[in-house]
Amino acid sequence: MKKGNHLTMLLLLLAAGLFGQRSITGTVTSTTGEPLIGANVVVKGTAIGTVTDIDGSYQLEVPEESEVLVFTYTGFAAQEVEIAGRSVIDVSLEEGLVLDEAVVTALGISREKKSLGYSTQEVEGEKLTITKTDNFLNTLSGQASGVQVRRTNNMGGSTNVIIRGNTSLQGNNQALFVIDGVPINNTNTNTRSQEQAGSDYDFGNAASDINPEDIESVNILKGAAATALYGSRAANGVVLITTKSGTRKKGLGVTVNSSVTMGIVDKSTFPAYQQDFGASYGPYYDGGPNNSFLLRDITGDGTDDLVVPFSEDASYGAAFDPNLMVYHWDAMDPELPGYQTPRPWVPAENGPIEFLEEAVTYVNTISFDQGFDKGTYRFSYTNYQHDGLMPNSKLERNNFSLKTDLDLSERLKITGFGNFIKTDGLGRNSTGYSDNIMGMFRQWWQTNVDIQRQKDAYFSTGRNLTWNYADPDQLTPIYWDNPYWSRYKNFESDERNRFIGYVGVNYKLTDWLSIYGRVAADTYNELQEQRRAIGSVANRFGIGTDRVDGSIGRLEVGSGYARRDIKNAEFNYDLMLNINKYFGEKWNLSGVIGTNIRRSYYNSIFSATNGGLNIPDLYALQNTVAPLPNPIERDESIGVNGLYASGSLGYDGFLYLEGSIRRDRSSTLPEENSIYYYPSVATSFIFSHFLNPTWLSFGKIRANYAEVGNAPGFNRISDTYTVNTAFNSASSSLPNTKNNPDLKPERTKSLEFGLEMNFLTNRLGFDVAYYKTNSVDQLLPVRVTEATGYFYKMLNAGEIENKGVELSLFGSPIRTRDFSWDVTLNWTRNQNQVISLEEGLDNLQLGSFQGGVTINAKVGEPYGVIFGTDYTYMNGQPVVDASSGHYVTTTNSDNVIGDYNPDWFAGLNNRISYKNWSLSFLFDMQQGGDIWSLDMWYGLATGLYEETSFINDNGVNVRTPLAEGGGYILEGVNPDGQINQTRVNAHDFSGFGYASGLPSRSMIYDASYIKLRQLSLTYALPASTLERIPISGLSISLIGSNLWILHKNLPHADPESGLGAGNLQGYTTGSLPSTRDIGVNLKVQF
Amino acid sequence: MKKYNFLLIIALLFSTACGDEFYELNEDVKNPQQVPGESLFTSAQKNMVDQMVSTNVNYNVFRLFCQYWTETTYTDEARYQLVERNIPEQHWAELFRRTLKNLDESAKLILAHEMIPPEETVKTNKLQIIEILTVYTYSVLVESFGNIPYSEALDIEVLLPEYDDARGTYIHLIERLNTAIDNLDASAGSFGSADNIYFGDVAAWKKFANSLKLRMGMTLADVEPALSKSAVESAVASGVFTSNADNATLNYLTSPPNTNPLYIDLVASGRNDFVPANTLVDAMNNLEDPRRKYYFDDNIRDDATGEVIYVGGIYGENNTYSNFTHVTDRIKQPDFGGVILDYSEVEFLLAEAVERGYAVGGTAEEHYNKGVTASFQYWGGTEAEAQDYLKNPEVAYTTAEGKWDQKIGIQLWLALYNRGYAGWLAQRRLDYPILEPHPMAVSGFPVRLTYPIVEQTLNGGNWRAAADAIGGDVVTTRLFFDVK
Repeated sequence: MKKGNHLTMLLLLLAAGLFGQRSITGTVTSTTGEPLIGANVVVKGTAIGTVTDIDGSYQLEVPEESEVLVFTYTGFAAQEVEIAGRSVIDVSLEEGLVLDEAVVTALGISREKKSLGYSTQEVEGEKLTITKTDNFLNTLSGQASGVQVRRTNNMGGSTNVIIRGNTSLQGNNQALFVIDGVPINNTNTNTRSQEQAGSDYDFGNAASDINPEDIESVNILKGAAATALYGSRAANGVVLITTKSGTRKKGLGVTVNSSVTMGIVDKSTFPAYQQDFGASYGPYYDGGPNNSFLLRDITGDGTDDLVVPFSEDASYGAAFDPNLMVYHWDAMDPELPGYQTPRPWVPAENGPIEFLEEAVTYVNTISFDQGFDKGTYRFSYTNYQHDGLMPNSKLERNNFSLKTDLDLSERLKITGFGNFIKTDGLGRNSTGYSDNIMGMFRQWWQTNVDIQRQKDAYFSTGRNLTWNYADPDQLTPIYWDNPYWSRYKNFESDERNRFIGYVGVNYKLTDWLSIYGRVAADTYNELQEQRRAIGSVANRFGIGTDRVDGSIGRLEVGSGYARRDIKNAEFNYDLMLNINKYFGEKWNLSGVIGTNIRRSYYNSIFSATNGGLNIPDLYALQNTVAPLPNPIERDESIGVNGLYASGSLGYDGFLYLEGSIRRDRSSTLPEENSIYYYPSVATSFIFSHFLNPTWLSFGKIRANYAEVGNAPGFNRISDTYTVNTAFNSASSSLPNTKNNPDLKPERTKSLEFGLEMNFLTNRLGFDVAYYKTNSVDQLLPVRVTEATGYFYKMLNAGEIENKGVELSLFGSPIRTRDFSWDVTLNWTRNQNQVISLEEGLDNLQLGSFQGGVTINAKVGEPYGVIFGTDYTYMNGQPVVDASSGHYVTTTNSDNVIGDYNPDWFAGLNNRISYKNWSLSFLFDMQQGGDIWSLDMWYGLATGLYEETSFINDNGVNVRTPLAEGGGYILEGVNPDGQINQTRVNAHDFSGFGYASGLPSRSMIYDASYIKLRQLSLTYALPASTLERIPISGLSISLIGSNLWILHKNLPHADPESGLGAGNLQGYTTGSLPSTRDIGVNLKVQF
Repeated sequence: MKKYNFLLIIALLFSTACGDEFYELNEDVKNPQQVPGESLFTSAQKNMVDQMVSTNVNYNVFRLFCQYWTETTYTDEARYQLVERNIPEQHWAELFRRTLKNLDESAKLILAHEMIPPEETVKTNKLQIIEILTVYTYSVLVESFGNIPYSEALDIEVLLPEYDDARGTYIHLIERLNTAIDNLDASAGSFGSADNIYFGDVAAWKKFANSLKLRMGMTLADVEPALSKSAVESAVASGVFTSNADNATLNYLTSPPNTNPLYIDLVASGRNDFVPANTLVDAMNNLEDPRRKYYFDDNIRDDATGEVIYVGGIYGENNTYSNFTHVTDRIKQPDFGGVILDYSEVEFLLAEAVERGYAVGGTAEEHYNKGVTASFQYWGGTEAEAQDYLKNPEVAYTTAEGKWDQKIGIQLWLALYNRGYAGWLAQRRLDYPILEPHPMAVSGFPVRLTYPIVEQTLNGGNWRAAADAIGGDVVTTRLFFDVK
């Protein structure tokens, strides 16, 4: 908060001085003379305002120098009125014309919303800044229909934004992000290993660099018809971001916004352990109760002592007994106070949840804006600082942006925008199976280990004194380091310096024809560094040999340093001719003819030490034990040259017809197939123009058809070899993927019908859309049997279909002078099906995971079905082997056991205002969709979870030996059809989870949820108070996000805890818990 | 006009980037489009040996099948849980893709490379060596899975390769081996330093090929007696291994990534996953086998006497690492050689050939004794030690228990310590020693590997046909050669 305080002080000084006041009164009515109750009256460019009373009248104290009043009322056209010295101002607002509002469409072209023959949905920037997150994409969740936001709990992690379903079998399915008409890079630099839950970090997707505080509004273009002008990249829909500009008012406007948010772990997303049994895998050891202890002479007195089996990362050991004194890990090191001292055998006082710290986020923004007679500018600076849940984790982002509009002459206008973003990450959490502390807590842990003791041990000695020593005689970590050592010694860090900017020039040739040119750049440099300190558990690190899953092979090594340097740049050059002409009273033609040239460059090098580090704590490539292995270099350039034309013909404001065509030439296609065309047509008809009962305010139907072509990624045409680190002599091998010189563009064809209606003076309305999208000739690396000699073959094959319904419903049930309530519901159902693949193939494996499960695109099934072993069934009942008592599972693993696509998802947004108070809250929900839990697969087997210790039907703990009445009976039937009666042993590691012979289907969970996603309570200082102080607006908000998971079915974790962005969803392992974020936001305007 | 200047500048910007360089943007400037064929041979050879000698539980679990070693904490693989980590797929993929395909490509590039005599002979030799390694790799695949894609394999145009009958494939492989042996010319060189096994020594490769043929021939003994006999006899006539110097050993280096993969899993990983299994240790204790000190570490001492004793981990059970004998440090060295065929194995095969009445010279006992002695010598023992050991009535060929299959089976098993795959093959042929699965094992003793999950999901029709043809895709389906 320090920074914020200084800024506030400074600004208070700047803005000191009192201003004169005067009073204005008047009434606001509709054109038919009805008084409008609760209409807003605001002094333009300030927060000074009021609302009309029951007679439609108002009274407002305005500063002396105020010039313009703005009158707004939902469902009516806003009006700006110059004060011009008057003290009484009456206005009448025109009804329904709110739908004449302009919306920003493709290429930044502003259009009347009613003329659009396709679906767009706008989200006000304000809604995206209510809660403060590390990735503004998360705040889109539930805000628009058709938009699915899949987040993770990773600090600074990536978020998957899918509009109208996955259309590409293996390509990028994420929406394109566009700032003020300029596409920006949203690459996610995560490795294949990260995506497949191996190990590694989630570095987030690049769109998270966008500063929500700079966003004026977001407009979502959903279908191909809306996006065709962006060319191939926009086949997945577009998120159009319009940044804030300066306003045309006199004087300097200064806005300061400060917030602090605290994140507290939502315990329903954190493992709940059983509290009855401690360390070991079962009764396998030297002695003690349950034969669960080692017998070693710790004190040197010649007699064996009871020692916890440190090496065993499971909790299948002896029942806790406070009278039993045993030697724990901290009895082994002379530097620790517990040296050679036994302690009682009890569950940990401080469980792993104590390891997590409060996540604190500070966001401070200051912006200046000003208008001149020749233009405007706005400058903003935002500092975002987040201390993560994990110790020693931090994310900081500094964002500077400047936007100016200059009218060089009546006809010539220049807009410039520059945004510099510096993001620094420290200690991101590991993801996936290996080397992940959360994986340890969720899957491999001893319930007797007190995390506070681990903390004290690390901080008092600075050494890796772990609970998981190999043996009392071998005091080195075996599988897990002291988690504090991991966090403070083996941390990653990363930094990204990014510049996004453009200069656009508009020249008005005539009043109906203008020419616009723009040069835009989006470039960044990123450095990602990974460290592993000498003395750590060996883990896969650095660069080894290429492994089976196609990811960077890594070798097990105890220490090392690795770095990845990334240089990314994209340049867009646009030139377009805009036409907007009326022919007579009724005909209007608007259109654009243009060209876009895009060049993208990606350059990276990944290099790592080999065989460990020589000198402790020196993280440099030179500090390698063995000679460096070959680094991995990439240098990739992509060019697309596009030409397009689009025109919309309107008749009398009720009928519109629009068409577009685009021609792309892509450098990534073979020359003879590199040029491709795609068209779109759209129409809208405003039937309320003819049908006009009093209850109907507006009615429109729309329809469109569009195609979008798409080109492959870099170098999918010709083959190259992979060079390996030399082995006495040169070594090389064939790559994983066989490229294809005959590729042609893939094509997405989409059809959409929509209906929009507003009722009761726009108090109620809906927008419903039905769409069907077929993507054909998909460009995809098809996973093939290794008997072909490859993993993948690049093909043009396959068709995927998405069809769905989107519904947005809004209403204002209450609207009075002091009180109003607005509700918006966004509901989406998308059904997707893989229609075909390459001839003969009926399945495409998207990813393969630990636990023997795969995620697939199978013909006839939705994209993203989960395969694995299943139960065998008899009359719908699972079959249990009568002698063992365990399930009889399938031997094959190609059974469909789940589907990660939800049946539907929805967001319900409420906004309630009372006088100067406003309350808004958003419920976000998903119905259906499956998630496979590796946490449960292993965590049950290791006896961690509370589900593994209970009183069974015999009235004894389930872990009691079978002979003594322990164990439990699996539900099902024996092969003879009888209800199973055979008890299974739950006495050791084989009791539950994967070790008990369950099929992979047993770990499929329904990912449905209902969450209170956002809540904010804002109090704005009333105008009467503002008059007396030298500020023009002040509001304070209490904000909360993810406050309450009302419903979920996945135990111990958040159903939204995926691995990261990308096509591999529906699998969870070692995720961070979710946090309930509560904070305060203060906004001051001068 | 001034106002229009900037528009011109923008227009110029547009006109630039449209030249011929446009398609060059798509060229990969970091990875070569051409490499010497020899460099592919180098990687294929290493990849194959890595797979054959590894003990990584994701790749190679044959030491566990043979009960040479067992696991300490995570007993899945010792209990034959193979699906969890997709182990069959790794074996399949390492051999098909990372070995065979690179060999295939290597041969294509070398063949296309024009040579002038006498270099022509060198080229021919290289192609034969590639062929020999190809046959070796395929033989392992057939012996591991049964029917496999063969005639339609390694062709990216055939995405759904059919499986070929295992027996027919095996016979065809022997024919390919014959041709390769015939075409080797020991008077010329071959791969030189690109070959990390024999460094291009063609005569050594010929011995290797004959020794492989001997093993493959013996594998067919119960099902193709005539072919078995002729293959074995011709191999011996042409010259098989005659000493440990002939062993096919990949010479690993001391630094990653070119170390023996055992070093990564046993040392660099810092883990204590394996201990010698009681099955092996007890058998050796019973025989007072002097090789225990070479195979194992001396970490356990008798409490009373202080003498080194050897205690094996209970097979398939959860074992506390420190309570059991560890493996010897020798095999933990980063540059410990990776052996895929050795002299000791050859002598035992010859002993068996004599018993089966093949004309390979010598008596079964002589070969048996040489096999034992070679094993001693490989592990650092002396001939005298071996002689002593052979005097033990339980070891001596004439007095050891059982018929020849048992005598040879037991001693071959002991000699093949650390050569898990070869041990597994021999056990399946000779059925000795008898290896009991752990009571909690998820299946019976695996006499084959199941097909990879990817075959079910990606090549389902052919997979089903193959599964039916061999009698079911389970680990207990006996393969064509395993008829006893």
